[in-house]
Amino acid sequence: MSAATLARQVSTTVTTPLAITACGVVSPAGFGAQTLAAALAATSAPSHYETEQAYPTAEHITTEDLPPREMRAAPPLPLEELLGRKGLRQLDRTTALGLTACALALGELAEPLEEQLRFRTGAIVGTNGSVRSSSEYSRETLIQTRPYLVNPSLFPNTVMNCAAGQIAIRNSFRGVNATLAGGALAGIQAFRYARNALARGYAEQLVVGAVEEFSPQAAWGWHNSSALQADSPVGEGSAMFLLEGPDTTRPVLAHVLASEVAYAGGARVSLIDTLTSVIRSALSRSGIDASTVTDVALGATGQIGLETIEIQAVKAALGDAVVQLLQPKLVTGETFSAGAALQLAALLGTWDLSGDVGDERVGLVTAISPDGNVGCVVVRSAAYFEGKSHVSAG
Amino acid sequence: MANPTTTPGYRVVVTGLGAVSSAGIGADAFTATVRAGTPTTSRITSFDTTGFLTHQGGEVHGFEAADWVRRIDVEQWGRSSQFAAVAGRLAVQDAGLDDFDFGQARAGSCMGTTSGESAVIEALVEDWVEGSLKDLQPDSISKFPAGRIANAVNSELGFTGEAQTIATACSASNYALGYAYDLVNSGEADYMICGGADSLNRWAHAGFYRLGALAEDVCRPFDENRAGIITAEGGVALLLERYDDAVARGARIYAEVLGYSVNCDAKHLVHPDSGSIAECIRDAHRHAGVSPDQIDYVCAHGTGTPTNDSTETAAIREVFGEAPPPISSLKSIIGHTMGAASGFGALICCKALYEGFLPPTATLQTPDPKLGDGLDFVPGTARPAAPKIVQNHGFAFGGNNAITVLGRVS
Repeated sequence: MSAATLARQVSTTVTTPLAITACGVVSPAGFGAQTLAAALAATSAPSHYETEQAYPTAEHITTEDLPPREMRAAPPLPLEELLGRKGLRQLDRTTALGLTACALALGELAEPLEEQLRFRTGAIVGTNGSVRSSSEYSRETLIQTRPYLVNPSLFPNTVMNCAAGQIAIRNSFRGVNATLAGGALAGIQAFRYARNALARGYAEQLVVGAVEEFSPQAAWGWHNSSALQADSPVGEGSAMFLLEGPDTTRPVLAHVLASEVAYAGGARVSLIDTLTSVIRSALSRSGIDASTVTDVALGATGQIGLETIEIQAVKAALGDAVVQLLQPKLVTGETFSAGAALQLAALLGTWDLSGDVGDERVGLVTAISPDGNVGCVVVRSAAYFEGKSHVSAG
Repeated sequence: MANPTTTPGYRVVVTGLGAVSSAGIGADAFTATVRAGTPTTSRITSFDTTGFLTHQGGEVHGFEAADWVRRIDVEQWGRSSQFAAVAGRLAVQDAGLDDFDFGQARAGSCMGTTSGESAVIEALVEDWVEGSLKDLQPDSISKFPAGRIANAVNSELGFTGEAQTIATACSASNYALGYAYDLVNSGEADYMICGGADSLNRWAHAGFYRLGALAEDVCRPFDENRAGIITAEGGVALLLERYDDAVARGARIYAEVLGYSVNCDAKHLVHPDSGSIAECIRDAHRHAGVSPDQIDYVCAHGTGTPTNDSTETAAIREVFGEAPPPISSLKSIIGHTMGAASGFGALICCKALYEGFLPPTATLQTPDPKLGDGLDFVPGTARPAAPKIVQNHGFAFGGNNAITVLGRVS
């Protein structure tokens, strides 16, 4: 059998729905998916970023000079309350945000996670690590009287898997533990990685999500890159989801159907066409018709060039379907690695707020990168519309 | 869901190998150096080591990516991405697929890393120190994302599928090999490049020193006088495809990927845990459908720190009993290439299975008696042998253990 024949065969395989059974969110809007969704509903889209709401600026995070652009930070994190007092001093902000979102998600469960399953529970975290931790560590080697006079206890913070490792330690998660550095696609890639791990029986349940911290380094990086529109803020946040097989006994917030990715940079094919075909392929592998999609949470909001490409691809893939376009970055600002996870959180929060009992909603989370990475996740609303709300109001 | 067991699906084989290392560029050059047992760590030149008390590194001196790539503009990519792209190109050439149009297939990459584009980050830090954060240079900023490591492979090879960069630190290449294996085994992908890349950097050199984990001159895994690691860099890539396809096109098959396991200590960010590693070994065996007595060689994580080597040998004893198979560490030759380390381990396992040898622990002088009797570290130079099934170890900060199992295809 030739490769091409086989490729055609597998691309029609419909994926098993996976269940999201908890959701923890921290963003400039505050805590919880509903809070993010409510803030998003209050923006005056399509005029970008205008809102009555005042978001925290970065003054509680840094005293560095910041670029002449709006900064949106998450509010102070209730770390002691969520994590206890021990070991908080060494946590960098990436790890603290990730631990907070994870604790908020697990805190929603009616019953705590089963102790005997923790050795088969894992964490899949999308992050580029803490650029502040690594760059400040590197800076010490240049400005200290001796280059090796760095703080050894902060060294693990410079490694990108620190947040995932801390989530494992604090929750005794001894199963699959992975850190994925996919930038704008990191959240989508985390769900792909998680789907594989669950489907192949490597883990029983997984905390899946992504995190991005605000830092002066990132703020200046974005500002000097010329990648963002002038009014696009630099933000931060984290969203973590508990993901399980379809046979879970817990109440289900939503089902994750297919997550597909592709790369347009190598073959130099059009980004629009590649994203369009990835969306079509993901819908097909979800067993979903394009006409049934109700909501799309976009990722490239505020990014020069990419924002238009993403919207055009979504329109090309969905045809005449009437969909609600959500742009969570109007609230969170640019959140790089956390983007897709926060998009999913905004989608779930929006569904929860709308409370249309009985209406099935199908959502799409899309992402695109300047190199040519494109991807999407398809989600479907679940039983929670039949009554009580499970998405945390924070 | 079920415990991991032998997975049905397509048989997955390795048909191409690429290496960019202090021990040579190209899998053959790398393997020749390893077989000769010649350490290739040297004085670091890629950053100024003035003021450091240790100056040795496994540096890829005189690396010019442009001499090796066909498609990418190397100016647009950081050093780690360049390592990855060149390793990927070499692996595809080695597989005899240099002129194959991967755009027509489902081809992707999965690459591991510890510190991503650390050399780019350090260039930005120099901008900062010499001026202020306002002075961060746009051309460095665009090269910063770690996810570009897999993107570089896809860009260089014209791959249109997944580009996944796994950042589970020093076991990341084994994670990448495992994930790539899953995608080919399940029919999600036709071809996958997997491996890893990292660059030498000041901050890791300083951090490992302050942890007391840096050797001054030579990395001596399993030695009584071992003092730690030598930081190193490089890129490594393996091309995976279905066994049936490889046979149909008459490809050279180095090895079959039999299975793997990953788990997490969940105890401490930097101290390894032997019980957890032993569990990971057992899971990898179960998943690969093999028993401990079938393992002919262990390519150790073998960093040369007192803690790693005693923890790792304790875990091996726990699974294999008093007479484990031969164990050796590549880090005696190339130092610790971080996120690429277990990828180089996988590469040498493939070569060992195909050519018939056991890689050496080149620098071993006096095996540490505290590690106990009955351990064969293959000291000195490679030993002729005919291993059939081998396992490759990768452990990391964060407690991320990953073990792959590879077998000879006869």
